[in-house]
Amino acid sequence: MPALEVSDVSVRFGGTHALQNVTITVEEGSVTGLIGPNGAGKTTLFNVVTGLLSPTGGRVSLHGRDVTAAAPARRARLGLARTFQRLELFTSLSVRDNIRVAGDIRNGWGRSHRINVAKETERIIELTGLGDIAGRDVADIPTGRARVVEVARSLMTQPTVLLLDEPAAGQTEQETEVFGVLLGRLADSGLAICLVEHDMSLVMRVSARLHVLDYGQILAVGRPEEIQNDPAVIAAYLGGAA
Amino acid sequence: MTAPVTDDGRPIEGGAEPILELVGVRAGYGAIEVLHGVDLVVPRGSLVALLGPNGGGKTTTLRVCSGLLRVASGELRVAGRTVNGAAAHDLARVGVCSVPEGRGIFPNLTVRENLWLATGTGVARDRVESVAFDRFPRLGERRNQLAGTMSGGEQQMLAIARALATEPVVLILDELSMGLAPLVVSALYETVAELASSGISVLVAEQFAKTVLPIAQSAAIMLHGRVVRVGEPAAVEEELASAYLGG
Amino acid sequence: MHLFLTYTIFGLVLGGVYAIAASGLVLTYNTSGIFNFAHGAEAMLGAFLYWEVRYGWGVPTPLALILVLGVFGPLMGGLLYLVIMRGLRNTAEVTKVVVTVALMLGMLYLSEWFWNPQTDRTVVPFFGITSQVKILGADVTTHELIALGTAVLIGLGLRLFFYRLRIGVAMRGAVDDPGLLELNGHNPERIAALSWAMGSFLAVLAGVLLTPISGGALQANSLTLLVIDAFAAAVFGRLRSIPRTYIGALVLGLAASYVLAYSPKTWQWASNFRVSLPMIVLFVVLIVLPQDRLRGASVARTRERAHLPSVRSAVIAGAALVVVVVLLRQLMNDSDITTITLGMTFAVIALSLTLLTGYAGEMNLAAVSFGAIATMVSYHIGVTGHGLASRSTLWGIVVGVIVTAVVGAVVSLPALRLRGLYLGLATMAFGVFLTDMVLMDSNPHRIPLIHTKFSLFSGGAGINSLVIPPLRIGPLDLHDGTTFLVTATVVFAVLGIGLVALRNSSYGRRLTAMKDSPAASATLGQSLLRLKLSVFMLSAAVAGLGGVLMSMALGSVTPDNFSIFLSLSLLMLTVVAGISYVSGALMGGLLSGVGFALIVSTFHDLASRHGSVHGLFSFLASFATVTPALIGIGVGRNPSGSVHDFVDSYRSLRHRPRVLVGGGAVEAVLYVLSLTNVLGHWWFAILTSVLVMFLPLVGQMSDPARREQEAAAVPLELAGIDSPYSDGLRAELDRALGIEDLLPPERLARSRRNGRRSDGSGDRSMTEPLGAGVGDAGT
Repeated sequence: MPALEVSDVSVRFGGTHALQNVTITVEEGSVTGLIGPNGAGKTTLFNVVTGLLSPTGGRVSLHGRDVTAAAPARRARLGLARTFQRLELFTSLSVRDNIRVAGDIRNGWGRSHRINVAKETERIIELTGLGDIAGRDVADIPTGRARVVEVARSLMTQPTVLLLDEPAAGQTEQETEVFGVLLGRLADSGLAICLVEHDMSLVMRVSARLHVLDYGQILAVGRPEEIQNDPAVIAAYLGGAA
Repeated sequence: MTAPVTDDGRPIEGGAEPILELVGVRAGYGAIEVLHGVDLVVPRGSLVALLGPNGGGKTTTLRVCSGLLRVASGELRVAGRTVNGAAAHDLARVGVCSVPEGRGIFPNLTVRENLWLATGTGVARDRVESVAFDRFPRLGERRNQLAGTMSGGEQQMLAIARALATEPVVLILDELSMGLAPLVVSALYETVAELASSGISVLVAEQFAKTVLPIAQSAAIMLHGRVVRVGEPAAVEEELASAYLGG
Repeated sequence: MHLFLTYTIFGLVLGGVYAIAASGLVLTYNTSGIFNFAHGAEAMLGAFLYWEVRYGWGVPTPLALILVLGVFGPLMGGLLYLVIMRGLRNTAEVTKVVVTVALMLGMLYLSEWFWNPQTDRTVVPFFGITSQVKILGADVTTHELIALGTAVLIGLGLRLFFYRLRIGVAMRGAVDDPGLLELNGHNPERIAALSWAMGSFLAVLAGVLLTPISGGALQANSLTLLVIDAFAAAVFGRLRSIPRTYIGALVLGLAASYVLAYSPKTWQWASNFRVSLPMIVLFVVLIVLPQDRLRGASVARTRERAHLPSVRSAVIAGAALVVVVVLLRQLMNDSDITTITLGMTFAVIALSLTLLTGYAGEMNLAAVSFGAIATMVSYHIGVTGHGLASRSTLWGIVVGVIVTAVVGAVVSLPALRLRGLYLGLATMAFGVFLTDMVLMDSNPHRIPLIHTKFSLFSGGAGINSLVIPPLRIGPLDLHDGTTFLVTATVVFAVLGIGLVALRNSSYGRRLTAMKDSPAASATLGQSLLRLKLSVFMLSAAVAGLGGVLMSMALGSVTPDNFSIFLSLSLLMLTVVAGISYVSGALMGGLLSGVGFALIVSTFHDLASRHGSVHGLFSFLASFATVTPALIGIGVGRNPSGSVHDFVDSYRSLRHRPRVLVGGGAVEAVLYVLSLTNVLGHWWFAILTSVLVMFLPLVGQMSDPARREQEAAAVPLELAGIDSPYSDGLRAELDRALGIEDLLPPERLARSRRNGRRSDGSGDRSMTEPLGAGVGDAGT
């Protein structure tokens, strides 16, 4: 059973289809890439999956459980976490507290979920390599690092499914390099990761499988090398008819 | 990243003077700098394509050009004059027409009302309407419809109609193709090409390189807040695939 | 039938005037994003000015109308926008609310300054009272017809304006996308200023029309609260649609009129009910409004900032506060002690705002009203003994606080689904409803089952006040002024330390997270509703406790002691001081409980003592009443509050113990001098404030690091002479001499990187949204 299953989801804004019968699956222990030109509907899909937006049709399930109508917080408790393309950090907290508060929130779910927040925070900071800026105000750090803070924050809730919305945008090449290694390690630890990213060298390197979204529809699904050579995908990216 | 090779950006066609020019521009949002020294030249009467993946700084560059975002350091020049700090509506009135990303229209106004607002730059209302409806008869059919309820392509037509009718000196277009079908996109770019050939200078940010390169006189690739390559479209095109899809 | 017709016409007229007022409110809210709490006050000022021009100066009606409606109204609105509202971009919602609230209070004080509220003023209907026509047998005054006609004309006029004029279309465009409007060559600032001018015109028009309809007597407070009727109507249109606002206004007007006409005579509360009707309607409409979609932060960062103190430093500060108050006690006489105690109880109420608004980002515009609930409960169940020997019991306070928390939950629950502003409106509606209806309940009712007579707010025999005796817990008897003062201070200190501890706890971090990004909080698994509800209850409880203490400090309370204006001014002063700080609550509370009252009365004293300069002193006294509002209006420039600046300035002194010790020594000397009566108490206060304010400055000037910095800023012509060439200086020189054009590109790039960023990434670049709605279609 896939960790996350989106089946036949459609979203309409006014007269336009933002998503049209989109079906994707994200498996445990691997990175699933979701790529597509701007405006293809990737962030909309993430909003539907996390419950910030209700689809006009279709189903979302987490670990086989239907969550289409569940509130965002409920989905988080079932193991879902995400980052935001347009950063949604807690700007009056330090980097460390941004991460820590996610653990606080998790501990608010109930006794059975409790973790040692202080210890876990330091572990995640270490894991994501944020030690040098942990004490700083999040508003003062560069975008590239801020995205890693969002990833670190979402890891604090101990998710089983992680949605990353352009985590590498704004990162330097070295940062992206390190980030790719981190993604690999997270996937190896059993996490199901869905990665939306425009940095194709990163996507191609870490993804086991790719979904290509175009005009709100799934254009292609396959391994990276298949996608890279798919004429339809190249056409979608560079424009013009296939 | 090497430093931008500004000399490549100099006029390609027999030394036309630059109409729009960015010199070492740094800009960003709050403490976060997005553009780390952008050099870019749009020569008079030419169409320059600004290419590159998302997050590279294309939109921010265009926001600087249109006056919506202030230059933190460096210079923005229009027709040779430094206009750092000029308000967007002042730039609009001197002929910088900018169509922002994601449809430059007012969704809750009708088509006619949208066109009416385009007269803010000083053109007569009749003229705006006749130019718009002649060029895009579909807009004429939907003149009293709310712009937000039209299809994406029609909305983009409306946005471009503003540019057509107000006869700007420089036209700045951001991601015309966003979320549109290829056929619609190529039709829109035909119109842009006509505009360019009529003497309007155009700066287009676009992620679909193929649609815009054939009509461009020069192209620049932006990565990580810098212009990393400027050259003739054919030369730039070869490097594009790797910039987008990775090696 | 005849009665029905008369009251229907009256309801329509009333609704028409509400509609005029409400459409102005909707207009300014949409074009500038600022919800104008001063809208009713504008109407009030307009009405008073009209009275002055028409009856004071004897100007003929048409000319007076032209002056007031045509000149004063638009001018006031336009200036308000240009001088004040324009500076409110990128501030938190509470800052915007506070600025307009301050404006409202300022206008109210101003009107009391110019127009003594003790004097009766009457505005006669247009063409006189006797000018009437018969419509289907019902008598209608010409004035009412004019009002109705004007409402219709305004409705039509606005419709034409928004659809037939380019500027009107541009105004609608500004609601969609002000940036795009600018790209079209329009100046959004000018459009917003025009909308404010129109909004103010409509307010003034409503004010001038309304007075004769509702009896003719000019009353500043009730006209100012016209804003709530306008809110209620505007909320019908979800603060967007003017046609729906009109419908809402008519419903409101008719309902009010029918209640007046058809409620049985035995309903003594009917006239109170009529007054409270808009509040009730507002509340009900808020409940049925659909929930807002969860959105990300619409602005990257608002300008508000706060430092977070540690629990340890809070404990030290709390202890220091108690010590300082005990020391100051030695300098005070009995009436001072009572006043300071009152201020301290206000500070406790203000703590509820620190928790709710400062930490959690939610709004409560009626904090003092929650105090009224706790007061009533503890009066009814927690008083022992009789006469002077009567005492309040701890039990009464505890139950009162719990009941207040529960009422807080009931009030906030429906509005919590909505955004901050709506919650603010709901609390305000609740506050006004409470004072206009519940606290007016002074006639005993017979309670059906237990056969006792009972009234909510009466000490007996229909007197509309409650006597709240001091608290006694075992040996602790607050009857003694000093004991009360110290107890109140200790309560404040303990609660304050508790709040700081709370803010430093996991709960506090979750509150902050919710305030900064509700969307991220929710996707991390936080149930926002639960968190909001819990913090609102907690805050209501704190307000309840502060309220009981306040009532005790006053001894006897009337509904006026819980007026909405008191809550608003407390909120305003707390925000001015710094709503995210416990010390901000202390300052805000003391200021609203003591500060300005003290200053005003001092000036009045001086005025009566010194006949020759009486005019000057009474001017200063009047001016002092307006001051808090002026300060509140200024909060747009410094939204983090003055405590924040203060903390900042003292932070720089941390590493300069000598300056701090020196300051402490000087203060100690002052205190001893004052205690031994060498120095007058006023002088002590003045010198102390001077010392506290200027100490950081002294530290800065004697700071060695700063001296170095100053030395580094070398004038260009002295570069190389007074100081060695650095890369930065070289770049500066290149720029000054225009060499950069001649340089090779690599060198240019380098020198530019080093160069000063001269064009200032100041305010404007901060206005760009980084994180707009996460629900956007694009990726």
